[in-house]
Amino acid sequence: MDFWTGQLEYIQDVFKPIIIAVLIFSPALLALFALGFYRRCLLWRLGREDKRTDSILTRIKTTLGVALAHLRFLNEAYPGWMHFLIFWGAAMIIVSKIIRLFSYLAGIDNPPQDVFLYASLASEIGAILIIIGGLLAIYRRYIVKPSRLDTKPDDTLVFLFVFLILITGFMIKGYRIATSEVSPTDWAVWSPIGYGFSKIFATFLTDYRNEILIWHRVLFHTVIAFVFGVYVFASRSRIQHLWLTPLNVFFRSLRPKGALVPIDIEKAETFGTSKIENFTWKQLLDLDACTRCGRCQDCCPAHLSGKALSPKKVIQDLKDHLNQVYPYPFVKKPVETRRDMISEAITEEVIWDCTTCRACQQACPIYIEHIDKIVDMRRNLALERAQFPESAQQALTSLGTRGHPWRGTTATRTDWTSGLEIKALSENKDIELLYWVGCTAALEDRNMKVAQATARIMQAAGINFGILGVEETCCGDPARRMGDEYLFQTLCQKNIEILRGYNVGKIMTTCPHCFNTLKNEYPQFGGNFEVIHHTQLIADLLREGRLQIGGTDGKKLTYHDSCYLGRYNDIYRAPREILRAISGTKSVELARSGAKSFCCGGGGGHMWMEEPIDKRLNVRRVEDVLKAKVDVVATACPYCLSMLEDGLKAKAAEETIKARDLSELVIEAVKKKA
Amino acid sequence: MDQFLRVVAVFLEVAVLSAILYCMLNGVRLALLDFGVGPKYNKVILMALAAAGSLLVVFFVAHLTTFYPTF
Repeated sequence: MDFWTGQLEYIQDVFKPIIIAVLIFSPALLALFALGFYRRCLLWRLGREDKRTDSILTRIKTTLGVALAHLRFLNEAYPGWMHFLIFWGAAMIIVSKIIRLFSYLAGIDNPPQDVFLYASLASEIGAILIIIGGLLAIYRRYIVKPSRLDTKPDDTLVFLFVFLILITGFMIKGYRIATSEVSPTDWAVWSPIGYGFSKIFATFLTDYRNEILIWHRVLFHTVIAFVFGVYVFASRSRIQHLWLTPLNVFFRSLRPKGALVPIDIEKAETFGTSKIENFTWKQLLDLDACTRCGRCQDCCPAHLSGKALSPKKVIQDLKDHLNQVYPYPFVKKPVETRRDMISEAITEEVIWDCTTCRACQQACPIYIEHIDKIVDMRRNLALERAQFPESAQQALTSLGTRGHPWRGTTATRTDWTSGLEIKALSENKDIELLYWVGCTAALEDRNMKVAQATARIMQAAGINFGILGVEETCCGDPARRMGDEYLFQTLCQKNIEILRGYNVGKIMTTCPHCFNTLKNEYPQFGGNFEVIHHTQLIADLLREGRLQIGGTDGKKLTYHDSCYLGRYNDIYRAPREILRAISGTKSVELARSGAKSFCCGGGGGHMWMEEPIDKRLNVRRVEDVLKAKVDVVATACPYCLSMLEDGLKAKAAEETIKARDLSELVIEAVKKKA
Repeated sequence: MDQFLRVVAVFLEVAVLSAILYCMLNGVRLALLDFGVGPKYNKVILMALAAAGSLLVVFFVAHLTTFYPTF
């Protein structure tokens, strides 16, 4: 019972003052924290409304998954596990300290007292975990210096701050052990580092062994938190991520991934976002929650191709702009003159560089929504400022006047059907499936072959399908992605009327962009149809045995994941099933495939934008294809097909490697069997 | 050995106290700015707080070397 005799004395002389200090300072700390948090809240409240309180259980699940199990963080081993150590080390310390703090009040001065000792050891282990994680972090940030990390003085201060808290904690432990009259040998093992510190500090003479010295040590320990740590640090530095990150994950978007938010054209006062206040409160929260980890930048195909766009920089520039416009949130008034957000803070070049491939959002561990912000700024450029890249403007004009973006084509919507005996719905309404051809497959020479191959496959499988023919107009995806929401809604509503007029139930399309828009965005305007992609259809047909395909001729194949099929709609398996059925074992995966697939560069309206020769995304992607040493690269998207063929030509590889749509490969295999 | 440990201890304490002092005083400065004391006074506040901080550090060093408890 030696230990507890010593502890009782200790509790009287030392612990009580600590409890009193904590009880006095805790409300003050909480008040300061609330003030600091409120300081940021004032800024978010400047934004527009956005309802994000649906499906609370799902939200809680994701938040707990991200915070506790570090989902998405661990996709990258070094930073993921390093942070895991820091987080769980801190969690261990906090829980142990709470146990120790309240053990006095709970009366653990009788057995069982082991929990007290376990908590002591746990808190020291926790501190060691933080130190190990912290050292890994310091090594990475200051010595390895990956390009995606930028280091500001705030980051260094945070490291110092955390180490300071840990060191002073050990110092206090050391003082406590040193001042105890009881020999520590029987319980020093439960505080190994504290015991080490106690050796450094001189033990006190009995006269000095009073609570005053201990008081002011403890005071300083909490005073760091008091002014700087809580109010200032907590409302300015990356320490905020401790609560902003879970908050941001909790309020993440639960919309279908491929559905942009519509503008109510009639009621809207502004179109898109020209000022920082035009964003929603959640978009402004995103800006504060971003911890500058840079994972989005590291996977942005535009950035990796040398373009000006960096998703991380967009978020940080918007945040800097917000702080410049509202430097003193409590004052609640913006500055008199502000930079123009679109042309000066972000720049049009960056805004148009984006292909909306969603790699950034896929990589972001805290679910920041980059694309919505970029498209919102595009909407302002399109609808209020009427500023487009010139070639994009021409595509949109064609879209508005001719119903498709392929200006200069001499084909009609039905030219591709010659020799195929396909009836339009106007002639025969009794069908099981509508084949939505899409503008590119109907009007662009290379892609017409895809439409023909798909039609032949369906005929071979005996599917009763029809097409809209000349009544088909663009689904509207290029318009929406380029920011012309008005044109999109016009096209969309017109298409829904036609489809409803024919009582269409099931639609199949060969274009992932049409697929995404018809499936995820048309319901916003009342168009609810069952939509499938041709890879899903073909995979089903193969599985059910309704298509007989012949053997392969030993060619090595690979598949390039389309962004709008893969990341947006999670369709990865069906195309690979088709590939396996055709090629047997001779199919390989490209580097950066699946959810990490590298965009071909055709999305976001870029099919119709001029690209600087040295910064083309498709050429970068073709480099992956060349490294895989394949004979054929299979695609499931008309944009990918065009872009990859262009890229192969640019790399002078069009003779050795062929780009083919999966439907073309399948119909070849069907013919071989026949 | 005691002497050596004492020097180490004093050094540690001054380092920690200086860091804490810097944190506190800078925090006071930023809080003042936040509540609209005015960017006009920034330089004055900086100098006043820096002076106060330096004085306190000198005090800590003197106090600790003179009164650091001995065995």
